[in-house]
Amino acid sequence: MAPKRRHLLALLMVLGLVTAAACGSDDGGGVSGGYSIGLVTDTGKVDDKSFNQSAWEGAQQGAADIPASATASYIETEESKDYANNIQLFLDDGAKVIVTVGFGLGEATIEAAKANPDVMFIGVDQWQDDALPNLAGLMFPEATAGFMAGALAGMLTETDIVGAVLGTDLVPPVVFFKEGWENGARYTNPDVQTISTYHPGGLDVAFGDPEWGATTARQALDQGADIIFGAGGATGNGALIEVAGEAGALCVGVDSDQWFTVPEAHPCLVTSAMKLIDVGVAELIGQAYAGTMQGGNFFGEVGLAPFHDFDGIVTDEMRATLDDVMAGLADGSINPMPE
Amino acid sequence: MSRSLLRTVATPLAAVVFGLLIGAVLILSQNASPITAYSALVVGGLGDADSLLRTLQKATPLIFGGLAVAFAFKAGMFNIGGQGQLLVGAVFAAGVGFGVDGLPMVVHLPAALVAGALAGAVWGGIAGALKATTGAHEVIVTIMLNFVAGNLTDWLSANPWKDNSGNNIVARTPLVEDSATIPTLGAVPVGFVLALVVAAACWFVLERTTYGFEVRSVGHNRNAAQYSGIKVGWIMASTMAVAGMLAGLGGAVESLGVDGRFEAGVNVGLGFEGITIALLARANPLGVIPAALLVGLMEAGASRMQFKAGVAPELIDVIQALILFFVAAPIIIRWVLRMRADNSEQLQLGAGWGRS
Amino acid sequence: MTTRQKQMLYVGATLIVVIAWTFYTADGPQTTAVLAGTVRAATLLVLGAMCGMIGERSGVVNIGIEGQFLLSAFAAFTIASMTGSLFLGTVAGVGMGLIMGWMLAAMAVGLKVDQIIAGTVLNIAALGLTSFFYDRSRSLGMGKYTNIDLGPLADIPLVGTVFFSRPPLTYLTMVLLVVVHVALFRSVWGMRTRAIGEHPGAADTVGIDVLKLRYFNVTIAGGLAGLGGSYLALEAVGTFSRAMSGGRGFLALAVMIFGRRTPFGAYAAALFFGFTTALQNQFQLNSTFDIPPQFVGMLPFVVTIIVVALSGLIGSMRDPAALGQVYEKG
Repeated sequence: MAPKRRHLLALLMVLGLVTAAACGSDDGGGVSGGYSIGLVTDTGKVDDKSFNQSAWEGAQQGAADIPASATASYIETEESKDYANNIQLFLDDGAKVIVTVGFGLGEATIEAAKANPDVMFIGVDQWQDDALPNLAGLMFPEATAGFMAGALAGMLTETDIVGAVLGTDLVPPVVFFKEGWENGARYTNPDVQTISTYHPGGLDVAFGDPEWGATTARQALDQGADIIFGAGGATGNGALIEVAGEAGALCVGVDSDQWFTVPEAHPCLVTSAMKLIDVGVAELIGQAYAGTMQGGNFFGEVGLAPFHDFDGIVTDEMRATLDDVMAGLADGSINPMPE
Repeated sequence: MSRSLLRTVATPLAAVVFGLLIGAVLILSQNASPITAYSALVVGGLGDADSLLRTLQKATPLIFGGLAVAFAFKAGMFNIGGQGQLLVGAVFAAGVGFGVDGLPMVVHLPAALVAGALAGAVWGGIAGALKATTGAHEVIVTIMLNFVAGNLTDWLSANPWKDNSGNNIVARTPLVEDSATIPTLGAVPVGFVLALVVAAACWFVLERTTYGFEVRSVGHNRNAAQYSGIKVGWIMASTMAVAGMLAGLGGAVESLGVDGRFEAGVNVGLGFEGITIALLARANPLGVIPAALLVGLMEAGASRMQFKAGVAPELIDVIQALILFFVAAPIIIRWVLRMRADNSEQLQLGAGWGRS
Repeated sequence: MTTRQKQMLYVGATLIVVIAWTFYTADGPQTTAVLAGTVRAATLLVLGAMCGMIGERSGVVNIGIEGQFLLSAFAAFTIASMTGSLFLGTVAGVGMGLIMGWMLAAMAVGLKVDQIIAGTVLNIAALGLTSFFYDRSRSLGMGKYTNIDLGPLADIPLVGTVFFSRPPLTYLTMVLLVVVHVALFRSVWGMRTRAIGEHPGAADTVGIDVLKLRYFNVTIAGGLAGLGGSYLALEAVGTFSRAMSGGRGFLALAVMIFGRRTPFGAYAAALFFGFTTALQNQFQLNSTFDIPPQFVGMLPFVVTIIVVALSGLIGSMRDPAALGQVYEKG
């Protein structure tokens, strides 16, 4: 063995270990210290510009709002088999509130809540059949949000064709958004033609395929649609950005106010059909801290995002109609999803 | 003997060390601590009985997926279809698992496993049979069948086989009956034991039987095999069916032993990881076991690594790529460690691609 | 190509034109929308297929196209958002493609790593790295590439919209189709390339440096995949998101093999695949069939399997003889 090479190797190894050890001193301890809030994502990331991100922002807001010192941290689930383990990591660390995002975590959350009655759980998009005292399911009437967006689109369309580019029908909130959207458009514009497409692939790609979203949005524009609803994570965002490149066409975002999450869509984004996950999560965290959180289902707010640059094209007449629609939805005289 | 064993182990070990070292640089670039991260990774995968169980559970489908790719490699075929074969295996095993009741376990569990294996065999066999009869390239057909399987299994679990208990809205089948559930003994899932047995059986079939000899002959030189009287078409078709069966079994074990049901989107990526495993193992059925354990360990510990050190779990992918690279390019490791070249080490799988 | 095959090609082409025209007269906007969607879906696939083709013609399998797409898209998007220039972003994407092509060559040709492994390393590494370094705050303030009308050509009904009112990288792809075709089949480089893919030993004896040419070809081919990545991020979508290539690198492989490793063959295959994709979208938009989207979504894949099997019966698809094998100078 040539001694030179050996030295090089030894040097490399030592260098690596020294640099590693130099930073090894600050022992990351998860959420230790203060009132700790843990968030477990669905198989997605906290920067997904969609519901995981919205929930994470809510958790941070909740931590900031409560009077005591509080910390929030998250684990991003890689595989849905890990839901229970990821919740357990926070439990072992003494978290006081655990937020789980997405209906996929429903069962794991219920089991953890039963086994840990002292810890408060918030399950986003998780319907509770049997109320547990320490588990609040944060639910949203997506069809209502979709209906309001559709009602606006029905009034704004000039071609009388509105399109929707959607994630998958395997995820019920997406279906509710779509049905609400179509019914809303027909409510304000009986002549309207609604053309909608779900992503044709599996659950694994349906929310992560902006290329398909963009191509499909274009296909809808080419046959006369002038307002497109993009609902389905990155797939829907692809549709919004495509519409932004078409002069005169409008687009509608979903979940949060996408004016802030997809700036590329500014040229077309008239509004977003919002479910205010962040507000709901922050509010429930506040209740959990104050000891007033009720088990069972908690209904969060839905609504339309501000019109931003398009404030001028929404006439007073339209606003009045929207107000009527909103009132009708609230008092139950309008059903966003008949059948 | 011990010297040659040392040589066999030295390269992969060094590859792991190099992969982790470069990974440490990436961790540092994110202002996190590699030592905290790696110790969390190991504790998360081996720290207690639960962690060990999870590591073994993660390794199980990887062994099956790795075997599905490795077996086809031996016949000179590239099976990118492990994902689809695994999915149909998982859904049909679950179908028999929840759809039939009143059977004793000794009948029900094997029946459910066989259903998964058969479904996988059919899925792989389609590609093999088309290759043998029409010359359709197995790479095209298996890629396409992956997409078809994804849609088919999603639809089955969302419609005819959907779990309608309570207000369930998730696309999933009901839980399989107890009589079709694969038990866990302490920290060892029985499915993992089954994977070990199947890996040994693959080795035996390939190395010690006439059929295995014919498979390897076809893989080595298709024309020569034809000339020496081997039915090449049959070997290609049957090898793909066996490969599909292996992946299908992996899916069955997931449904019956880990998830307790089939759920849309839950088994995503498992089949594709089989390619990595088979390559790490250099297409050796027994080598698949340590390769799967290593990757399983990293995946089981990844959540804890993010929790403790704030390092995104994708780091695991980068480290896997690095390890694979160093294992496949032993010349680099030999250069650093000053080991002597061993001609038997260089492996060629790609050669299998160019034969149709 | 035999005379019989040529005749079949002409008959097929005529049939397609007649059918397209019939549909166009029945419903202009929908026919245009479907065919425009076809061309669009085909562009990325054919860029990947050309990348794979040049490698395979020289005897090097490239299953890393998926990774090349993804990392190039990441580079293109990052640079474009940093500099505010789509052009610089495109150049960065192509550059990243070249680098990855070079890495593939370094592994597969230089270090004699198994070619399948080398490609897989690229795929996993690209997925991991792009996710690890993803930065959600980046965006393309100036928007993505938009359509450029080619003068009066764009006014031709149907054909104008489908082929002559496209964004720039799509035109570039069409030009590259011709360039790669001429280079592969009409140039000295092409002859040598095909020689080292079929009989590297014989090529060596006539003085071709097999390893050097493979190195060069695989690197250059990476530039085509890099252009694909730029197209994906800057023209097709206008942003980057994790794993956005969505398996299209693998579909490109299928398209390449189906197109018999020729540029026009691959483009025909890519258009065919794009057509089935656009068609199933249209079925959904029109609610043509009352069947679940999962089944409509199978259409492109099932049809491709059937066509590949049938065309296998008509004429065999032969791989280059030295494909996948490491060449050792004798």
